Amino acid sequence: MHGYGQYILKRLGQFVLVVFVGISITFFVTHLTPIDPVETTISAAAAFGSTSPEAIAMLRETLRELYGTEGNVIQQYVTFWGRILQGDFGPSLSAFPTPVSELIARALPWTIGLLVTATIIAWVLGNILGGLAGYYRSNVLLKMSGVLAMGLHPIPYYIVAFVLLILFAYVWPIFPLSGGYRMNLAPRWDATFILSVLYHSILPALSLILVGLGSWFMGMRALVSNIVTEDYVQYAELGGVNRRRILSRYVMRNALVPQMTGLAMSLGAIFNGAIITEEVFGYPGIGSLLVDAVHAGDYSLVLGITTISIVSVAAAVLIIDLAYPLLDPRVKVA
Amino acid sequence: MTTLTQPGAGAAMATPDASVRPVLSVEDLRAYYVLDLFGVKREVRAVDDISIRIMPNEIYGIAGESSSGKTSLIKTIAGAIQPPLTVVGGKVHFDFRGKSIDLYSGAPADLDAIRWRHLSYIMQGSMNVLNPVRRVRQAFIDFAARHIAAPSRRAFEEVVVAHLDRLHLSPHVLDAYPHELSGGMRQRVTIALATVCKPEFIIADEPTTALDVVVQKRVLAMIREVQREIGSSLLFVTHDMSVHANLCDRLGIMYAGRLVEEGATSDLFASPKHPYTQHLISSLPRIGDRTPREGLKGTPPNLADPPPGCRFHPRCPMAMEVCRTVVPPFVTAGKGRRVACFAAEPETIPDGIANATRSIAA
Repeated sequence: MHGYGQYILKRLGQFVLVVFVGISITFFVTHLTPIDPVETTISAAAAFGSTSPEAIAMLRETLRELYGTEGNVIQQYVTFWGRILQGDFGPSLSAFPTPVSELIARALPWTIGLLVTATIIAWVLGNILGGLAGYYRSNVLLKMSGVLAMGLHPIPYYIVAFVLLILFAYVWPIFPLSGGYRMNLAPRWDATFILSVLYHSILPALSLILVGLGSWFMGMRALVSNIVTEDYVQYAELGGVNRRRILSRYVMRNALVPQMTGLAMSLGAIFNGAIITEEVFGYPGIGSLLVDAVHAGDYSLVLGITTISIVSVAAAVLIIDLAYPLLDPRVKVA
Repeated sequence: MTTLTQPGAGAAMATPDASVRPVLSVEDLRAYYVLDLFGVKREVRAVDDISIRIMPNEIYGIAGESSSGKTSLIKTIAGAIQPPLTVVGGKVHFDFRGKSIDLYSGAPADLDAIRWRHLSYIMQGSMNVLNPVRRVRQAFIDFAARHIAAPSRRAFEEVVVAHLDRLHLSPHVLDAYPHELSGGMRQRVTIALATVCKPEFIIADEPTTALDVVVQKRVLAMIREVQREIGSSLLFVTHDMSVHANLCDRLGIMYAGRLVEEGATSDLFASPKHPYTQHLISSLPRIGDRTPREGLKGTPPNLADPPPGCRFHPRCPMAMEVCRTVVPPFVTAGKGRRVACFAAEPETIPDGIANATRSIAA
């Protein structure tokens, strides 16, 4: 296992590098914008009434320190890293003085709960159906599901989302129009609340699964129809090996290797999907938070959310990289 | 025992003992690639009218150049055909100890029950027949565990290890992934895998083609050794005549989907009757002989549109008028010999063909 240890170290190094570079780029891009959050706050404060210049100067200094915008860009950059390493993204501007980290912590479970679950369900279902469809080529039911998946796939996600919303929340209102849970409930760990959360998540999850399923289905089916022509599959069939075993251990097992990479990439990218999903379904996650932050010019919040998504994408890739040698023995770990 | 439609294909081929039944009898087997391209039907006659009998404990070789239908024939024999390859006619009958089975007549046979226990297969491109993401041990479990009565996984593994040991393979190969083994090693593991259940019939399709000569020799020795030890019949296919000369008891020569000559290997090499066989044998290098080898002119025929009459006639130096129109019958020509050639067996020329024996060779 010496080789594997080295491999882990190497991947960890890459992870740190990617996160560092990604966050640095985000930092400099946001600081290139002409908006100065300190001045924005001051003008907002000044708009309430006449304030003495001394008071404004003091406010400016306090805010500078609070926002980490003292000194030149390099000094700010150093302060920024010092804070980030402690998990501190500074206060949000639009919800001043609530810290950005608290806003994110509040929104993150919603996004992760909905999108990670939906992505994984779509992945599992798509792979199982695609694998079966690729292996049992002549099965009519599986052929039909292939046509369905292929028909659904090219429809833009927001159209699927709106159609579901119109059909099942307006025309035939069996699901709620928006929100993450019933308005008059307080977030708590009890059955009523959890059921309400599940109930509210059905439509957004369904939209994500319907659209996500298609690409996994087609990818897996294509992979499987290639793999069934491989010598080791044909040989196992000649050997009279149990068909279900061939499908699971020979065909699917080999197709899983590239599909895992795909899963990692889409898990890392859930924050992209979050924006549209959460806007359409009025879901209280990171996506809604990001859209609000952009509208409000709340750049510390934007920076915080971006940082979180960079770290999670890199982490997803890292986890898959670490799992890869276990999945495919041919991957060189040295 | 069923009677053959073709004369001379009696049971007395290599084994004179008539009470011994052949393990495999193939009768008038025809398997074509039936292609339907936008309503245009095309047939590629890869296996045309082939009859073979293989006795217990016999090594039967099939020789022929590439695309002569060797692999299609043994795929059909192994019951491993997939569309577009379809059996158009004929029979494949296995007579195993206590179990006989007809592959292409009547109800679909339960092949999975005989596979590996009675009939196993060493495939062409054996290098890639092991699942790349699982250890070799898993392959043995998947293929053989249901046939070997062992009270536990451990006992089963002891059987496997004993078998590997007989073949001079270290038990450590069980823990290896296929990519960790060399090509020759992988091939030997595959042979061990194909023989661990001591099957009565083994089909080997070009098992040594991808190997260098030294490894090839070792693998051939191993195949022969294990065949002797378990007393199974072996159907061995390769285009390499020197391998056939060293290994096989009897040999069938295929040309363009048909069997053109058959006989005991030594007889066939000593006095080949069919012009094609003569060419195959004279093309072999001989120590001390420095005369240049003459190649056969032309190419094998397109099996979708084979020439009428004898399929070899466009390339045959001895072709006669009759060869153009009449398919030479595959007849007995001496003890244990069969040949399909009017030049070798002039008495098979049907009467009433004008200028039948006039040579057409250019």
